[in-house]
Amino acid sequence: MDFESKYEISSTVDFIRGRTFTRVALQFPDELLKDSPLVAKALRSELGKAVRLYVMADAAYGSCCVDEIGASHVDAECVVHYGHACMSRTSTLPAKFVFGKASIDVKDCAKSLSHCLSSFNKPIMVLYGLEYAHALVNLKAEVAESLLSSHSNSSLKISYAEVVGTVIYPSVDHLTEKAQVSSQYDSLTKTRITVGGDEREIKSGTYYGLGGLSWNIPTGHKIEDYLLFWIGPENTAFTNIMLTFNNCKIIRYDADKKCLLEHLSNQTRILRRRYYLVEKAKDANIVGILVGTLGVAGYLHIIEQMKELIKSAGKKSYTLVMGRPNPAKLANFPECDIFVSVSCAQTALLDSKDFLAPVITPFEAVLAFTRGRQWTGEYVVNFQDLIASIGSEVNEGTEEARFSFIKGGYVEDIKPQENDKEEEGSLALAAATDKALSLQNQDPTSILFKRNATSGTMFFAARTYQGLNMQYENPAPQSYVIGRSGRAAGYLDEERKAEDLPGAVE
Amino acid sequence: MVKFTAEELRKIMDLKHNIRNMSVIAHVDHGKSTLTDSLVAAAGIIAQEVAGDVRMTDTRQDEAERGITIKSTGISLYYEMSDESLKNFKGERVGNEYLINLIDSPGHVDFSSEVTAALRITDGALVVVDCVEGVCVQTETVLRQALGERIRPVLTVNKMDRCFLELQVDGEEAYQTFQRVIENANVIMATYEDPLLGDVQVYPEKGTVAFSAGLHGWAFTLTNFAKMYAAKFGVDESKMMERLWGENYFDPATKKWTTKSTGSATCKRGFVQFCYEPIKQIINTCMNDQKDKLWPMLQKLGVVMKSDEKDLMGKALMKRVMQTWLPASSALLEMMIFHLPSPAKAQRYRVENLYEGPLDDVYANAIRNCDPDGPLMLYVSKMIPASDKGRFFAFGRVFSGRVCTGLKVRIMGPNYVPGQKKDLYVKSVQRTVIWMGKKQESVEDVPCGNTVAMVGLDQFITKNATLTNEKEVDAHPIRAMKFSVSPVVRVAVQCKVASDLPKLVEGLKRLAKSDPMVVCTMEESGEHIVAGAGELHLEICLKDLQEDFMGGAEIIVSDPVVSFRETVLEKSCRTVMSKSPNKHNRLYMEARPMEDGLAEAIDDGRIGPRDDPKVRSKILSEEFGWDKDLAKKIWCFGPETTGPNMVVDMCKGVQYLNEIKDSVVAGFQWASKEGALAEENMRAICFEVCDVVLHADAIHRGGGQVIPTARRVIYASQLTAKPRLLEPVYLVEIQAPEQALGGIYGVLNQKRGHVFEEMQRPGTPLYNIKAYLPVIESFGFSSTLRAATSGQAFPQCVFDHWDMMSSDPLEPGSQAGQLVSDIRKRKGLKEQMTPLSEFEDKL
Repeated sequence: MDFESKYEISSTVDFIRGRTFTRVALQFPDELLKDSPLVAKALRSELGKAVRLYVMADAAYGSCCVDEIGASHVDAECVVHYGHACMSRTSTLPAKFVFGKASIDVKDCAKSLSHCLSSFNKPIMVLYGLEYAHALVNLKAEVAESLLSSHSNSSLKISYAEVVGTVIYPSVDHLTEKAQVSSQYDSLTKTRITVGGDEREIKSGTYYGLGGLSWNIPTGHKIEDYLLFWIGPENTAFTNIMLTFNNCKIIRYDADKKCLLEHLSNQTRILRRRYYLVEKAKDANIVGILVGTLGVAGYLHIIEQMKELIKSAGKKSYTLVMGRPNPAKLANFPECDIFVSVSCAQTALLDSKDFLAPVITPFEAVLAFTRGRQWTGEYVVNFQDLIASIGSEVNEGTEEARFSFIKGGYVEDIKPQENDKEEEGSLALAAATDKALSLQNQDPTSILFKRNATSGTMFFAARTYQGLNMQYENPAPQSYVIGRSGRAAGYLDEERKAEDLPGAVE
Repeated sequence: MVKFTAEELRKIMDLKHNIRNMSVIAHVDHGKSTLTDSLVAAAGIIAQEVAGDVRMTDTRQDEAERGITIKSTGISLYYEMSDESLKNFKGERVGNEYLINLIDSPGHVDFSSEVTAALRITDGALVVVDCVEGVCVQTETVLRQALGERIRPVLTVNKMDRCFLELQVDGEEAYQTFQRVIENANVIMATYEDPLLGDVQVYPEKGTVAFSAGLHGWAFTLTNFAKMYAAKFGVDESKMMERLWGENYFDPATKKWTTKSTGSATCKRGFVQFCYEPIKQIINTCMNDQKDKLWPMLQKLGVVMKSDEKDLMGKALMKRVMQTWLPASSALLEMMIFHLPSPAKAQRYRVENLYEGPLDDVYANAIRNCDPDGPLMLYVSKMIPASDKGRFFAFGRVFSGRVCTGLKVRIMGPNYVPGQKKDLYVKSVQRTVIWMGKKQESVEDVPCGNTVAMVGLDQFITKNATLTNEKEVDAHPIRAMKFSVSPVVRVAVQCKVASDLPKLVEGLKRLAKSDPMVVCTMEESGEHIVAGAGELHLEICLKDLQEDFMGGAEIIVSDPVVSFRETVLEKSCRTVMSKSPNKHNRLYMEARPMEDGLAEAIDDGRIGPRDDPKVRSKILSEEFGWDKDLAKKIWCFGPETTGPNMVVDMCKGVQYLNEIKDSVVAGFQWASKEGALAEENMRAICFEVCDVVLHADAIHRGGGQVIPTARRVIYASQLTAKPRLLEPVYLVEIQAPEQALGGIYGVLNQKRGHVFEEMQRPGTPLYNIKAYLPVIESFGFSSTLRAATSGQAFPQCVFDHWDMMSSDPLEPGSQAGQLVSDIRKRKGLKEQMTPLSEFEDKL
């Protein structure tokens, strides 16, 4: 495929010219970085000197999101994002997406599609990875042709999802607008099952949107009646589809291997695993909120909401900004029993055996930390959709002890008011002493290793080593000594030593 | 049956000296429920309206179908003693009316937890032993449990009818059999020397042993016969009783008592002469329909038969005659009333077992004195599902004070710590209820010494709890019960229709509440797990779950899942090293198997994290040959900080070592919970930290760097130390006649079991076989065994130990290797084990 069309140079140029941007950031994922000079060169030759182009790589978070912070370092006015994208809304900068064009055998795909239609006897909704969007027109034509020739049952239809658009503009006052829109949704969709994504009442039926795709289901039909046909590799975008539409039958067409795959066992496995994590989160005392994005619209709002939610559940939360989480980073916070990752839909699903504590999504956090709420099977991957729904929760207010499936018995949660409501009056001191005394009772090992700590300070107090202690025996100040200089990887004096004694340091 | 109104019953409940709380315990199939039935038939208190209803204790349909008791059932009996029979009674009493709260418990080992719950709320136990089969494994287990709870036992040698009808043994032989049964029981009881409880052994000549035939509804103690003969011989009853047991012989020819058999044909043992032979004679006469002989004999004994009964023939006649002559209810009830303690008496010494707090505080004193006016102390021992689905009665015993409808109570759960607010609720009792047969009757209040059921507390009590008055903030809870079995058989359950999930969750919660033993958990993969003590227990639980707690919604139950343990065979072949993610820190470790018995010592709590280091090092050096200094260098136990694995610090002169200790321990807790083979718990592995190289800057040797590294190096050392799987093994006890032995051996061989003891029960054609059987092979074992022995063998399985599987799990295709890949598949892990190279780093 030629370079020009793969990177959509001309449409990019139109986008930049159309809005008269003068500083443009080009964001490349790692695997496309090698092409960045060529792309930049091609764009420059089209745009001329007036537009300054900056190549950005190695985003701190997922490469699917627009790195707005990186772009604002160079005062860019817009971002052109290359490669796989999650199409999350941006908060400050307009962004243009270039998905790239993956090769696909349209004929074979159409054949598989019509095969599915005949064998499953269900209407089909075709969803695809954004990199296959370019082939959609050809595919439609091919399928229509093959259906005509085979005279198949006309009552069953094949519908196609559309790409929402390749340009995203930030909304000026995003949050308030969002809130208004959501309240409208609420009134409209009250009687229906709310399923994932952007759902909007349109005269002709139900509108769905997820991961940059959108589609309509005519009134009187349910998404469960459809067979979802996914074209593309098994990636996080596909996992999101699987989780959101966990009631639907999903078939994946692998364009590279040209084969059809069913992921039913995998689908239930992932769902069950998430279910387990929700149960596990219910037992947590200390929750770490991982800020996994600094760009996706509404992230500050959801962080605030998470904090409130965790507090009202009687748990302690700490907000951590650590870029892309890895085992070493998470293990630096052994006091956290669980982490909630606030990030775009496609990077939020983290499940690694190597993490000391599991990482859950904001939706799962809502499930876990709202008392009396049960999982009905729906799954929301976008936290924007959550912002609206959280407030309307009704607390059942049962006083019954909570049953923990992790511990296999009833456990009692810390009452939220216990943490912040201090007893007033003459008994305050006695109560405080009481608490101090009972703290001492607890075995430090149970706090450290059995997740019994209720706050970071409690955890710290239980540690056997607490860092350097002040020396009170000798109050006189010590004479200062000159410290080392250089970087931790090798201080200046160390380097010198290594030179002196070759072989002494491995 | 005694017809009572709730008010009448309530009146007797105030007489704390006239109450007996007792449980019936025995091995499975020794006739507990049948015996209980005959007592209930005679003395059971039932509500006036439902008189005539039968079969009181096996209330569940499945119990009746299977012919075994599953849940323990409480029932109240009323007995009025005659003045004459009470004249020797030394204890305190008020009037002659007695209330006996009896709990019939299951005998199958799978339901031992029910027995434990029953024992807690009773003061005495009627131990039922089959006179032919003798003291069996479950008899022993429950007897030990009872004595541990300071429950005073009395014994009944049951199924006497078998001696007369089936085996037709002569008097002396029968005496020897009974003597042996009693001796066997006494051997167990003798090990529980307890100055407060006094001598707990049972003696026929003291009236603490009865001889009964539950099926035919008759029983006697030597008291019955002593009364009969005392006048005749002109001696007092106690003297006569002594003569009726042991080495006392009587020769009717010389009319002389001797302590040795004179050898003359007419000289017989007192018991044989005066008890066994007369019964035998009556039974034989009845069976042979020699009515002309029978009536004079009965007249002599003072037995009056009704006219319509005189027409009965054979067995029916015999039953009727024996029931009239020696009614089981009066013999057994009188024995209980005489020899089992009243709550007032029992709580005096049981308070030490019961109360967790200081034994001189007001609550301990109230329990000790069984004070109805003291503060309320009530222990809820189980939750009984109520007729309206989803609700439970909290069933328990009032130890002091009184509980009444509408009372605000302080509920202290099992995790309550005095002075804290954890697991503590203040709620009011909606209704107090007493059981009258199958029917519940509301009463105003229930005073101490009685059992009670309460409505309205089920949301706040999980399985058991201690209840006290609202204001009694300094009361300590009553000690939690200790169970003798553990839930080892697990199945995964899921609902057939995904939308039933909330129902399943709710059902599991209720199941967990209704059964003292069952454990409902969840696997890492998100599957719901139900764990029970045995196959039968689990079957019953799942049935309850589906039918009662989920309203019949369909569930899918997986094959039983057995958990394994991971261990090592040898010391690591080399010291392994792992580097931290930043490559600046290195941990060196070795793994080695623990000494034999050490893991068990940790399991039993003899060695643990909270030991005094001196005591610990003494045990370790003396029993397990550890170096004394090394014993002080144990960093921790795991998993869950108490498990049977440990980390020992073997390094010398390492800088900053104390700084990373917590991180290494955290990594170890994690790794020992999920071993490298199949993420099963580790067991009996000792990890030695050999050397540590750390970065000079604290920031580069933090938890983030060390915790994952510690986990990796632990895995590496496990994999280099010849890892092995441990499988759980049952101890199986089977009792069967000789001709069934072949079948038993066949089935055991086929199931990888091995017999280590085979013993003939003296005086019987029965054999007692003890064998080890891997738990994984035990599913369907009892039905296979029954099929192979035409129903003559009945096994009892109890978890015994972990056994190492000899094959190498690292070798693909080996038995252990296959198991590992099966477990990994079930857990949804990568089918291939992570290779050593992922965990070990090169320098």
